[in-house]
Amino acid sequence: MAENSTVTLSRVNTPPAQTWNYLRANDITLEVPFVSRKGDVYFALPRLFESIECGMGQQVTEWIESQATDASYVEVRAGEKREEPIVVTGMDTGVMVRAGAEATVVVCVGGAKGSVGSLSASSAAGETGQGPSESANEANASATSKQLSTSAALVRIIAEHDARVHVLEFVAADDEVQHIESVGITADARAHVDARQYFLGAGTTAAGLTCSLNGSSARFDLTCRYLGREDERLDINHVVRMRGRNGRTNVTESGVLDGHARKALRATIDLVHGSSGSEGTELENVLILSDDVTNKTMPVILCDEDDVAGNHGATIGSVGPEQIRYLADRGLAEHEAEALYVRALFDESLIAAPTADVRAVLLERAKAVLGEDIANDLVEGLELDAVAHEED
Amino acid sequence: MHSQLLRVSDVSAGTEDKPILHDVSLAVGAGETHVLMGPNGAGKSTLGRVVMGDPTYQVTSGSIFFDDADVTNEAADKRSLAGIFLSYQAPVEVPGVPLYSYLRTITQKRPELKMTARKFRARVGEIADQLDMGSSFLTRELNVGFSGGEKKKIEMLQLLLLRPKLAILDETDSGLDVDALSVVSKGIEAYRQDCDGSLLIITHNTRILERLTVDRTHVMVQGRMVAEGPGSLIDDIDAHGFEQFERAGEDGGAA
Ligand SMILES: Nc1ncnc2c1ncn2[C@@H]1O[C@H](COP(=O)(O)OP(=O)(O)OP(=O)(O)O)[C@@H](O)[C@H]1O
Ligand SMILES: [Mg+2]
Repeated sequence: MAENSTVTLSRVNTPPAQTWNYLRANDITLEVPFVSRKGDVYFALPRLFESIECGMGQQVTEWIESQATDASYVEVRAGEKREEPIVVTGMDTGVMVRAGAEATVVVCVGGAKGSVGSLSASSAAGETGQGPSESANEANASATSKQLSTSAALVRIIAEHDARVHVLEFVAADDEVQHIESVGITADARAHVDARQYFLGAGTTAAGLTCSLNGSSARFDLTCRYLGREDERLDINHVVRMRGRNGRTNVTESGVLDGHARKALRATIDLVHGSSGSEGTELENVLILSDDVTNKTMPVILCDEDDVAGNHGATIGSVGPEQIRYLADRGLAEHEAEALYVRALFDESLIAAPTADVRAVLLERAKAVLGEDIANDLVEGLELDAVAHEED
Repeated sequence: MHSQLLRVSDVSAGTEDKPILHDVSLAVGAGETHVLMGPNGAGKSTLGRVVMGDPTYQVTSGSIFFDDADVTNEAADKRSLAGIFLSYQAPVEVPGVPLYSYLRTITQKRPELKMTARKFRARVGEIADQLDMGSSFLTRELNVGFSGGEKKKIEMLQLLLLRPKLAILDETDSGLDVDALSVVSKGIEAYRQDCDGSLLIITHNTRILERLTVDRTHVMVQGRMVAEGPGSLIDDIDAHGFEQFERAGEDGGAA
């Protein structure tokens, strides 16, 4: 094999049950760079992490492990309430949140030049898409001028019993970026995990998240917000395995699609045998602003248990008539109401952002999409710090 | 006589298959406070919505003038910008939209209210203090997860922020505890004083009117205006109910 080449990740990011085949949206195939690391010394994560199911599947896990120069392992001690967020900076990260501890895990990818947590496995000719800690990882794929720069993150999290874990994912990159993000979480008894995903830009965003509620009375809340515009492509896979008894899952996805954006969202709640007393809900809401958009949504509830409740619903089309009427009564025409929804995606992400560095990344993307004035408005009004701190 | 701010003349309106309002007329002068009363189902909320321009209802005859302009066929957003405000009996939840983004957008739409983000924040802070609201609400999603009382306060906040010429308050007082009620009354008073606006208050509860001087009272029964009188008419209704008017309504219906 050549030193630096590309490989194809074929049909990845798949849901557990591949129904709706006719939609042809069961998976995505990605061409990604490959650098041979034969002979490199690589520190792998503790074995415990190997068994964690990740949203994009085993093929992606193996590719990322093969490309990462190192794995980073963070442990939050039992009972510790860790204030400082754990910001993911490497391609391969494992976080262990011990019993009763609390922690926030942040993944943030933005810009073309790379910023907080940005990991670059390849870059366009001449461009450097380096992340601060992974610059050695770059590989120039082939020499075509319109080459995508690829970044990738694999994040595995173990939430021990009674742990409280917050996961924040921000993707706000330029159009030349292809971003691959695969997350796997396990939750033991009474652990409560909440995840918020903001997919606000990148030529291609391929993201998968799997959360396994293994212990009883564990809880998982997922909020996913996305914006697809111009020729952007979004491929999202959400899987919740409810194994323990009396689990609770709430998945809400909502977003705006404009231009020629293509989106496929697969959301599966799997009520495994033995998960009696569990409840899972999934709801998607998408606002479509253009006729040229491709929107595919596949919500699935798998059920192998009698005493459970699974609900899903999808509202496709425009913002609900009630909302439109309310906003009209306060002076907004329909197109202004729609613009408010787009702005709100960025504003919400800025509110959710835990650090100034993350806000700086989001703000940069917001400026490109909304223009300076509207992008800056929230941080000015709420006096949020959105100035990135210099790397030393 | 100076011209009326709002003039509803002989309006009949309803949904596609159900007439609700019949030849309704009502006029509100600038700076005046009017009260609209009537039994459940009389058509009070419908009248408020028709004045605001809700496309659910069609006006089949009559006209609505606001600020000397015929707005009968204007869209709701245009009427809002012209200065009509309708507070909701049950404010709508708008998930995914932070209150800050929403308030800022509806304020910036009005040339007379344009200001910097910092001034805006300060202004919202002042109003929030007036309404005993705390400060964390701006980053929450619009009306999502707010209690009934908080939602009403958010409506009052918008009223004081947008400074409309006419505010139609549809049971802004319903479902509120004593404290929230007094906050809302204070808000209404502040609106009267600071904005010199006109009020059309739809209510079943006269408590909210205690701090206000009511100029006119209108009584509606079965989609018709059946009585109009001075503020003191409210006391009469408080004592004797709507029965006297209900009979009149039936007579009117038969005639
Ligand atoms: N969109 C609609 N579709 C069908 N019927 C409607 C609609 N809106 C109102 N109505 C009917 O019109 C009548 C008047 O309703 P409206 O809500 O205006 O009464 P109201 O005077 O506000 O009553 P309340 O005091 O209970 O709030 C009722 O019979 C109601 O069911
Ligand atoms: Mg009503």
